[in-house]
Amino acid sequence: MQSSKLCFLSASVLLFALFLMLMFPVSAAGNQEVAAFSISEAEWSMVQAYEAVLGAESADADVSGLLVRLNDAAALLSEARMAFDVGDFDEAAGYAESTSEVGYEIVDEVEMLEIEVANARVYSSWGVVVISVLGVSVVVVASLVGYSFFKRRYYRRLSKMKPRVE
Amino acid sequence: MTMKFQDYRTAFQVGSLALVLLAASPALSLIVSFPRSGESFSELWLLGSNHMAENFPFNVQAGEEISLFLGVGNHLGNSAYYLVYVKFRNQTQPLPNANSSEPSYIPSIHEFQFLLADGDVWETPVTFEILDASVEGDSMVVESVSVNDRVYPVECSSTWDSENSGFYFQLFFELWVYNSERSSFQFHDRFVGVWLNMTG
Repeated sequence: MQSSKLCFLSASVLLFALFLMLMFPVSAAGNQEVAAFSISEAEWSMVQAYEAVLGAESADADVSGLLVRLNDAAALLSEARMAFDVGDFDEAAGYAESTSEVGYEIVDEVEMLEIEVANARVYSSWGVVVISVLGVSVVVVASLVGYSFFKRRYYRRLSKMKPRVE
Repeated sequence: MTMKFQDYRTAFQVGSLALVLLAASPALSLIVSFPRSGESFSELWLLGSNHMAENFPFNVQAGEEISLFLGVGNHLGNSAYYLVYVKFRNQTQPLPNANSSEPSYIPSIHEFQFLLADGDVWETPVTFEILDASVEGDSMVVESVSVNDRVYPVECSSTWDSENSGFYFQLFFELWVYNSERSSFQFHDRFVGVWLNMTG
């Protein structure tokens, strides 16, 4: 009875050890896959955020604050890639997830910023057009008035001149 | 006399037209865009431990920490997404070829990613240390190094240079920039580095 219990216990320990031996590489490979996926997602989110910031910048939006945050995210992505290279997959996945979070936040903020910039641009464009139309009108009216004044004065002076007979 | 008046009138018309264009210029600037003048480029520099272009490390030993400052300046006309690869090589391994825009095929040991607005500069301290090195016959093998306190295995060997009396290695930095059209980073034709003599 005692020996059968001992056999059962030994078999259980052996099975558990075997299970651990099989599971550990699977788990390590799983961590590597998760980290690799997180890093590629982080890279994608960084590129999306950068493209969005570049678009906002070309529309004359103030992107300085976004660039500072994107810079922090880029540093995290570097850390993630370097941790992955030395086999620290958990750390790599953590850094990569933080990067993605910032990247997606920036993409959303840029969308809002672009709407604000577009609205501001419409208002300022109208202002510029109105100022230009007013300026052109003033110049045209002043030119016509000036021209008629000059013409009148010129012919008045001409009529006062005495003809010279040689 | 009539001709003279016509001359005045022409001058008046030309002057008025110039004033009209001047008054309309704010509105015209909304339609007409002028190309950016000047050259687009990026700077990459390396400074010694005292933050000047001197006192670069040369004779080094395993376990000796060396300090450098790495900097990048953006003059591309827009914000840029940069990547600097830190690489370690011996005398026979290839350097990047800036003329043909080819980076060195050696894998990087460390990297820096950052974004820079046009006209801005980025600078970071870099600490480098050769951790494990051993001499085997006429060659020295560097097995691991650390960059900014992160340890990397390298397995880089250098044979004895009898002409210059030393085992020579080079630590160099390649500048890459994100290209939106290609949707990838590409080598930006710039690199800087320091030679390290391991016999010192």
